[in-house]
Amino acid sequence: MKKECIAMLLAGGQGSRLYVLTGDMAKPAVPFGGKYRIIDFPLSNCTNSGIDTVGVLTQYRPLELNSYIGSGVPWDLDGSTGGVHILPPYMGSKGGTWYKGTANAIYQNIGFIDLYDPEYVVVLSGDHIYKMDYSDMVERHKAAGAACTISVMEVPWADAPRFGIMNVDGEDMITEFEEKPKEPKSNLASMGIYVFTWQVLRKYLEADEADPHSENDFGKNVIPAMLRDGQRMAAYRFSGYWKDVGTLESLWDANMDMLSPESGLDLLDESWPIYARSVNAPPAFLGKHSQMSHSAFNRGSIIEGAVENSVLSPNVTVGEGARVAYSVLFPGVTVEPGAVVEYAILGEGCRIGKNCRVGGTPETTAPAPWGLAVLAPGCTLEDERQVRPGVMLGKNGEEVSR
Amino acid sequence: MNGMHGIIFSYEMRNDLRELGEIRSASSIPFGGRYRAVDFALSNLVNAGVTDVGVVLHGRYQSLLDHLGTGKDWDLSRKRGGLKILPPFAYKQSWGEAAAFRGKMEALAGVRSYLAEIRRDYVVLMDGDLVVNLPISDIYEQHIKSGADITVVCGNDSFETENGTYFEMDHSTGRITDVLYNLHRPRGYRGLEVYILSTELLLSLVDECASRDQYSLRRDVLQARKDSLKLQGYIWSGFAAQIRSVQEYYDRSMQLLDPAIRADLFCAERPIRAKATDKSSAYIGPDGYCENSLIGDGCNIEGTVENSILFPGVVVEAGAVVRNCVLFKETAVRRGATLSYLIADKNVEVLEGRTLMGHSSYPIVLAKGSRV
Repeated sequence: MKKECIAMLLAGGQGSRLYVLTGDMAKPAVPFGGKYRIIDFPLSNCTNSGIDTVGVLTQYRPLELNSYIGSGVPWDLDGSTGGVHILPPYMGSKGGTWYKGTANAIYQNIGFIDLYDPEYVVVLSGDHIYKMDYSDMVERHKAAGAACTISVMEVPWADAPRFGIMNVDGEDMITEFEEKPKEPKSNLASMGIYVFTWQVLRKYLEADEADPHSENDFGKNVIPAMLRDGQRMAAYRFSGYWKDVGTLESLWDANMDMLSPESGLDLLDESWPIYARSVNAPPAFLGKHSQMSHSAFNRGSIIEGAVENSVLSPNVTVGEGARVAYSVLFPGVTVEPGAVVEYAILGEGCRIGKNCRVGGTPETTAPAPWGLAVLAPGCTLEDERQVRPGVMLGKNGEEVSR
Repeated sequence: MNGMHGIIFSYEMRNDLRELGEIRSASSIPFGGRYRAVDFALSNLVNAGVTDVGVVLHGRYQSLLDHLGTGKDWDLSRKRGGLKILPPFAYKQSWGEAAAFRGKMEALAGVRSYLAEIRRDYVVLMDGDLVVNLPISDIYEQHIKSGADITVVCGNDSFETENGTYFEMDHSTGRITDVLYNLHRPRGYRGLEVYILSTELLLSLVDECASRDQYSLRRDVLQARKDSLKLQGYIWSGFAAQIRSVQEYYDRSMQLLDPAIRADLFCAERPIRAKATDKSSAYIGPDGYCENSLIGDGCNIEGTVENSILFPGVVVEAGAVVRNCVLFKETAVRRGATLSYLIADKNVEVLEGRTLMGHSSYPIVLAKGSRV
């Protein structure tokens, strides 16, 4: 079945900078914004952009991700002539290997892509929060007659040295790519979203695979090789909300952004819906003594305490007299009566015992070093326990260093 | 193949639903901040392992059809069996005044060919407007053990229902001794209109009734044959609401604010499934206030909400006050408006500064899409 365009979603990374949150699951499966998982964003963008065939490349701890994606129904990706396909590494008659890098992951699935014989392949990563119309980017790719189009956004000049920076000419064609330049010549940062003309990419993937010195990575190897050969490389400027949620701090930030549509992340806007696999539970109940302000919450939750500036996933319980502030609570978290949780990320199913104290505000912590308190999924705190700001706890309540 | 087959009856215009019933059958009335009434019957059946369900339509069924879809949300979209929608025109070839059936037996006679294809040995009959979480597997087990011809499920609470059927029972044997309706003062147990019987018996009763132009299940089968058939009662003491009037709808909705009622109706072992929605999380603003309320997905609360049930996507703007209300999907309460004891159907907009007050004994109903 020929398709004009299909998407390949790189979802195999561990996301080691999310530490305990990705101990048992790949980063794209991490909850976000109350009812979502990170992967809902690229998957929904695909559907909304008219892309109905998506390969999801999995490798690290795929169980959670596989069961979440299922048959792809929530994103309308269960069509009979496409849909979502989970693509793990596999064995062949001459053995097999893990995905050695982003480019190698696509290389190992040339067979899958060829099934659809597409003109264009969109390569996405599974750790960004944004709403983007990929079809518009493909239009730019076609109009520019490019072999590769990379989406870029302007970042503050001071931050530019942290990104992969694209230098462009007057027509926004890429002339140079610099990974984390000390003295950036431009402030256009790559967002890790690529459109390739498939037949061109296919050749470069084969060449890259044949090179024993290559790290088989798009950013480090394939893109530079294409630039060296003088392939037409277009930049596609994006100006909406985009955030890499690869660190605990950026994940927390993006959740807070969700509370304020002024941040540019407006999840209530129904013209570009983000779909999610929905949880089966009755509506949230706010009890007689609940006090909630500037917070998001979800079905199955029972709130009897105070919650402010926080994002609560489904099936969260906050007991009477408990207080949750500036925190992100993943599904099924229980905060028992009298406990206080401030500036924290609590993993799925955490239980905070009565009168515990988790985290603290930057003001009350000074002059001691401050940071987010982070609890691994399934962590249970016995009553009265204190968890200082910046501390991270593993599944069994043990302290884990960052 | 053993097991049960489900049949759900959906009636048009159940008595006194006023504006709520004008655009839909009682089976598709929104309930509990997220559900439609029929979700309960469907979930009860699915939770008991039922995989084949026929829904007998009556009138005003567009909203119900829209809600049921292929049955996927209840895992009833299947290669064999699954959800079957049975339109009311099937049983008589003529349109016109005869288009709606007069009672359950006539409705069943109309779908006789569907009944003949049933793969299971037993059939559960239910109403689409019954809000309950019954352990149907247990009732089935009792049905088999007691050797009953028909098991009749009865409620056990002080609620009365419009045009209800009541059963008197011999407590030592559990046998139904009398079947009553149109009582000025009800006595006995309130029937929930949930019955289990064998497919064989159902087919023979349908044929016998059809041959005598008998159409009523309660009159022509239960009442007329109470001595020749062994009718056995099953008493359900939990929450069981038959949504047949605005008052009943309102009172029963408000009961959900009681945690014990919710624990019973939404018990974890038998989850109630509903259609998936794509709303974002609900949000309460910096000055929003909300207590003792059920809040659906994607609600946006900047004002005050107390003792209320809000379906998905309801907006309560700053300074607005909502007390003791049930607001359906996408209701918008603009700045400074005050509402109490009111049921707003879908997409209602109450403009700035308006005040609407009903009473617990007579809640105001705002029809779908109205703008006040």
